[in-house]
Amino acid sequence: MNPLLALSVGLTAGGTFALFGVLLTIMSRLGKVVNFSQVAVGTFGVFLAIRLVPKDMQPWGAILVGMLVAMVLSILIGFVIAKWLGDAPVSTRSAATVAILLGLYSLANLLFGTRPQPVLAPFKGPILQTDLVNISQLAVVTTVTAILVAVGAKLMLRYTLVGTRLRAVSDRQDAAELMGINVMGLQLGVWAVTGLIAGFGVGVVANIQATDANSMITILIPSAAAALVGAFRRLDLAIVGGLGIGALQGLLTAFPSIVLLKDWIPILVIVVFLLWTERKEVWDVAR
Amino acid sequence: MSHANTATRSHQLRFGIVVVAALAVAVAVTFGLPSYVVFISTTVLVTMVSLMGLGVVTGSAGMIALSQLTFAAVGAWVMEYLMFLTPLGSVFGGFSFIVCLLLGAVVAAVLGLIVGLPALRLRGVNLAVITLGVAAAADLTLQKIYFPDAWLNQRIDRPFGMDRSEFGDRMYFLFTAIVVVIIAAAVYQVGRGKLGGMWRFVAFSERGTAAAGTKVRNAKLSAFGVSAFIGGLAGGLTVGQIGQVSYVSFQTAASLGLYVLCIVVGAHFIDMAFFGAILFVFIPEILKQFGIPLEWANVVFGVLGVQALTSNSTLGDQIRSGLRKLKRHGATAQPVSAHLEEVDLERTSAIFTTTGQPLLEVKNVTVRFGELRALDDVSLTVYDREVVGLIGPNGAGKSTMIDTITGFLTDYEGTITLDGKPMEGLAPDRRAHEGIRRTFQQDRVPSSMTVGQYMRLMAHGKSTPAEIDEILSYFGCPPAHTPLRVVDVGSRRIVEVAANVASKPVVLLLDEPAAGLSHDEHIVFGNQLKKIPQKYGISVLLIEHDLDLVRSVCSKLVVLNFGGVLASGNQAEVLRDPEVLKAYMGEKVGE
Repeated sequence: MNPLLALSVGLTAGGTFALFGVLLTIMSRLGKVVNFSQVAVGTFGVFLAIRLVPKDMQPWGAILVGMLVAMVLSILIGFVIAKWLGDAPVSTRSAATVAILLGLYSLANLLFGTRPQPVLAPFKGPILQTDLVNISQLAVVTTVTAILVAVGAKLMLRYTLVGTRLRAVSDRQDAAELMGINVMGLQLGVWAVTGLIAGFGVGVVANIQATDANSMITILIPSAAAALVGAFRRLDLAIVGGLGIGALQGLLTAFPSIVLLKDWIPILVIVVFLLWTERKEVWDVAR
Repeated sequence: MSHANTATRSHQLRFGIVVVAALAVAVAVTFGLPSYVVFISTTVLVTMVSLMGLGVVTGSAGMIALSQLTFAAVGAWVMEYLMFLTPLGSVFGGFSFIVCLLLGAVVAAVLGLIVGLPALRLRGVNLAVITLGVAAAADLTLQKIYFPDAWLNQRIDRPFGMDRSEFGDRMYFLFTAIVVVIIAAAVYQVGRGKLGGMWRFVAFSERGTAAAGTKVRNAKLSAFGVSAFIGGLAGGLTVGQIGQVSYVSFQTAASLGLYVLCIVVGAHFIDMAFFGAILFVFIPEILKQFGIPLEWANVVFGVLGVQALTSNSTLGDQIRSGLRKLKRHGATAQPVSAHLEEVDLERTSAIFTTTGQPLLEVKNVTVRFGELRALDDVSLTVYDREVVGLIGPNGAGKSTMIDTITGFLTDYEGTITLDGKPMEGLAPDRRAHEGIRRTFQQDRVPSSMTVGQYMRLMAHGKSTPAEIDEILSYFGCPPAHTPLRVVDVGSRRIVEVAANVASKPVVLLLDEPAAGLSHDEHIVFGNQLKKIPQKYGISVLLIEHDLDLVRSVCSKLVVLNFGGVLASGNQAEVLRDPEVLKAYMGEKVGE
């Protein structure tokens, strides 16, 4: 395959990584957690939904129900973390989501089996196909969603009262609480929205990228790498990172002799990036 | 014989008894139980090895590592490769297995170091992302390249001619048990030693670790390397047990399960690693007997993991605290004030005069935080064997000054020299080695150690055990065997001062050391402080709000206000300066 074509094909996965990279970044900034269960709630929701929704109402009916299930799951997880790990450090809160990921992964295998799930695709085929490039509808949908979510989050944080309160909670939770801000409600709101979008994300890509529970991990890792490119703070860089990782992985399929390297791309991106951004010593606490 | 020696000896005796007992149990299991149980028990021991490795990085050093079985896979893969495809597989006869096992573990450790390197300066969460990524990538790679046993369709030879008969399985169990006892003993001893202290210190506070002269990177890297090495051993032992392995034995989800189990039981305790291994192996076995799908085990582990994290305690912690309550052992340590009668209470001893040799010289230091000048052209000198007070209202820049001198703040203009040697470009741990030590306003004394362990770790071998005992008794600290978790916060700060004295620095920077002490303790501490230069040959830069204390111990004062030097010089003159009185004590002075 010619390299440019391979690269453009990789953007399909890249868009997914960008979307989940954005969600992870939002959770990190507003929820003070690296949410290892971010993809898992979406996957679980969609897998459950395709069993609840009649075949003729799929895929959109299933995606919608999947989003709702993912939202409920996400709120539950958020409740556990906000309620009992409210003051815990980020690493402890994140470790809890690792345990939840393990639980959801195993539960999904139990309930839905380990074989590929019969999910239908809402977006099929390319939007642009020439001899040189092939851009799928899915790549456009996921990337546009990622951009919309990022821009929406940015605008909301900057221009709305809820956004100001969210920033207050994220900066100084205790102070926000003393001002009478409903910290728990706001945090659960963040969990709800990210869960909803995770359900959408998995729903649209499920038939090619999330056919079994392994996707809870296989989508999460490159997405986390994308979020790391933005240091879990910058949404725009998370999108660039996600697309970049997807494109790089796609590009490598054009070189079969080094195909093993493809699986290591997210890690290499993280490593190179961290070595660059963390040249200077940083400390665990400010003082 | 000192108390410490007696305690060490009885401890070593107990340690020896446990090792011998463990081996005796292993022999009994080898010959006394049905072969199926013996085979499963080997699995338990191999899992225990994995958990012990994870306990080092997760339990001791406080990092999240999600790739323990990847290290096992690497150990297994390399071991098979060496056994099948190189002369190493036969050249050492019955010992070839052991040689290849160790080499496989070394390669796993090297991989661990490579993986850990970029994450070293980062918080645990980034390490979690990286290790999870490595686990998943290795998983995919192994699915494509297979293990060498699959290329050749062979099984590797067990050590010392053990075959794969029922008797061979029993012998291999015994071999595994001996290896596990060796690993457990080593992990236990290392955990109690300097390296283990470093790991626990870095888990508690990176800044505290660096200020004690230990490189944070080395502490984390060594934990990760040791953990990966032990993980590699577990992989090699698995190969010896089942003969042929595949990626299925080392999947990412199983690594996640091990990690979660590690935080449930607290696998940095050896007994808990054993207990965790039993859970990890037997819960699925029991489920299998009842025809329940095995995935339920992971669901249960997930729930237990969340429970352990939300309650902020592992099963091992709970069992140990329960045992302590039963024994009513060392309920609380006496605060420093309880030792008051042992030290003299006189208030009038003279302030020691300096020899006049400048040691710490800070010249024209400016620190900017954006537009704000936190320090503005500040100069100060601490001469040999004097106590200089650094005072000023809140926000004047005192702690920024200490951070700058000790190397935690690197972006500054001006120069800092110690005994004529420039400190620019030296990290905090290097400056600590050169002889600049500090204490913190916050509690940076790890509660997981005893007073003695902490003192030894901080002293870096600069003080003998007898000297440490002497310093502890001089400061009226609890005895060396006291666990720090039962020492109150005020007394811990005095222990922190004592530990830094034991490191025999050139200059000791004390950041509000007397906060949290009662009035009487203040007086005693002031007296002890005053004599530090004379008694231990150490100069002191003291940040303190309590002017009584400052007045009684400092020969010279530097007053900071809004980042600049408001006044400096002889104590009495500075304290009479009307500008100082106004800035420092507001309008209330003179009322």
